[in-house]
Amino acid sequence: MHGLKAIFKKELSDHFSSYRFMILFALITMVSLIIAYMVGMTMREELASVAKPKYVFLMLFTSRGGLFSLVQFIAFFGPLIGLILGFDLINRERNEGTLSRLLSQPVYRDSVINGKFLAGVVTISIMMLSIVLLITGLGLRMAGVIPGLDEIWRMGIYLVISIIYISFWLGVAILFSILFRGIATSALAALAVWIFFSFFVPLGATIIADAFVPDPNPNNPEAILTHAKIQKAISLVSPMQLYSDATGTIIDPTRKTTRTVILMGPLEKLSQARFAGPLTLGMSLFVVMPYILLLIAITAICFAISYTIFMRQEIRSL
Amino acid sequence: MLKRIKGVRRVLFSAFMAISFLLLTPVLSLGDQKTDEGKKPERLIEMAVEYPVVVVAPKEEVSMDIIFHNRGRSNEDVEVWIDSQPKNWKAKIKTYRYGIRGVHVPSDQTKTITFEATPEKEMKLGEYKFEIKGRTVDGNFNFHKTILVKVEEKEKGTVEAKGVKLTTSYPVLQGPSDAKFEFSMEVESKLDKEAVFDLSAQCPEGWIVNFKPRWEEKYFSSIRLKANQSETVAVEVKPMPLAKSGEYPITIRVSSGDARAEVKLKIIITGTYALEAGTPTGLLSLEARQGKPANISFYIKNTGTAPNRDIKFVSFKPENWKVEFNPEKIPAIEPGDLKQVEAIITPYEEALVGDYSVGVSIEGEKVKKNLEFRVTVRPSTAWGWIGIGIIIVVVGGLAGLFRWLGRR
Repeated sequence: MHGLKAIFKKELSDHFSSYRFMILFALITMVSLIIAYMVGMTMREELASVAKPKYVFLMLFTSRGGLFSLVQFIAFFGPLIGLILGFDLINRERNEGTLSRLLSQPVYRDSVINGKFLAGVVTISIMMLSIVLLITGLGLRMAGVIPGLDEIWRMGIYLVISIIYISFWLGVAILFSILFRGIATSALAALAVWIFFSFFVPLGATIIADAFVPDPNPNNPEAILTHAKIQKAISLVSPMQLYSDATGTIIDPTRKTTRTVILMGPLEKLSQARFAGPLTLGMSLFVVMPYILLLIAITAICFAISYTIFMRQEIRSL
Repeated sequence: MLKRIKGVRRVLFSAFMAISFLLLTPVLSLGDQKTDEGKKPERLIEMAVEYPVVVVAPKEEVSMDIIFHNRGRSNEDVEVWIDSQPKNWKAKIKTYRYGIRGVHVPSDQTKTITFEATPEKEMKLGEYKFEIKGRTVDGNFNFHKTILVKVEEKEKGTVEAKGVKLTTSYPVLQGPSDAKFEFSMEVESKLDKEAVFDLSAQCPEGWIVNFKPRWEEKYFSSIRLKANQSETVAVEVKPMPLAKSGEYPITIRVSSGDARAEVKLKIIITGTYALEAGTPTGLLSLEARQGKPANISFYIKNTGTAPNRDIKFVSFKPENWKVEFNPEKIPAIEPGDLKQVEAIITPYEEALVGDYSVGVSIEGEKVKKNLEFRVTVRPSTAWGWIGIGIIIVVVGGLAGLFRWLGRR
């Protein structure tokens, strides 16, 4: 681990001084301000029909004030942050010839990739934390929304999951920057993967499910359920789906399952409607734990692949 | 001594005789009557006029009974006619329906027919003589009776119930001026024919009097009654809303031709119930913090003319808010009096910042008044500052990071 600290610090300062990051950060701050404002305007109307509003603070992040909520925004465009931060981390150094110079220093090779990844994760964390804190502060000031302890915990867990999710995309970007020499190639490849998983897979899942169970009869619950199961199974390939399911239940305590289609009888429905209390934090965590573990796993696997390839790669040839 | 005893005994004896005679007399007379009844004459019939002498006003008609008594044992048929009558009078003998010339009087019964005389124009003062003659068909009994009609000037101004009668069980009603009063009145026709009676009322200015059937919601101003029929009429009175408390007489008149009657009703207005409410400054908005009580005081004024009792307060507030009143209720406010009430409004602890409406309904015994307050919820200062603090820390922290890491 020798030299890890030095590389980490240098990478971090690289991120913070690059115009790319500045523009990205400005964009995201703007978006969070817009979200805070929109939610503050529309939340009153949404709460008007609720007898005893609970988890109002979480609504700051989940309420679709007109266009989109922060949670939706991060699920769709969070990957872009990771990709932009990571798509040229290795191959730029390689192309500029600084990588061989760096490795001639008394620095372990794994310290380079670890330091770069860690610096990216810390940058992502700072960014996410700033956005959430900014929205919280604005919500406190403008709408008077006071977070409860439970809500702060949920927000913390949401933050951690989001950081893992964006880190996964950072890992994907690093992998491509190791695999491809050309910066544009790695950027395009990362973008293609993002588009495939974020837009194509959900659409494809529906198409494939339709192919297996064409036009499910609304009077046949079995068919509908099969349709939903196939669709879900396929869409779970997408990390975005994993992330949405994991955060959705954490940040919205009234959601009790990650499933979209639930088969229930009329009496069950009635009792569900009558006892629609929120889940406790522990129960919510229990429900989404598989998703969180899976996210961590794919992130780790992705990084492990990059790590292995990088460690075995010929560096000095160029 | 002996003589004296003898005298006493004689007195006692004569007294005994007198008492026994007295006791026996009714028994003897009873026996006499029985024998009298048995000796009823074969034929005995009498004719009489009800009022041989009457006094009327000019143009007033005369109507009375002619009575036949048959005291005999056989039924009689009697002819009856007006033998002579003064000029300009129209006189006839009739029953309830027909003009007649003869009447059948069964044995041991009394028969009544009607004599009626109508002046054709306003008659001069004086005496008018009508001769009524009658006789049995075989001519054995002849009757001759005279009716003297004296026409005299009537005292003016007094309206006498005549031909129709108006009665009411509750001539005096009491209530506030915004109430509706209903009298129940009975119109009784004394006429011998069907007639239409006009109803009219004399009431204070601005008041409304309507006549309607007892159980129906429609108004009429005249009523048709058959002879000797009576009908219950409801009189609905709506006082002028601004009427001061006091007594108000109402005269109800019913008339049909000459037949007219009137009845005097009275309404006692006890006063109106009205409330006025507002804040001393006229400002109906206030600011409150989440979970913290905010006070606003408002006054209640009794603008009616009757005291308002048992004034309660009811609030219409957003969910989970608390509204309290101090005092919780007011036992009574005299007319023109002013009372101050303090409302303590506590917004929900998690209420969002913004404007809310809190309605207060002031409910008196008879009236209700609404006030609407606009409550602006401000964020509690501590949390507001924490929010600003978070923003400052984030911005400051990022600036620090840029400075620290941006330097090469």
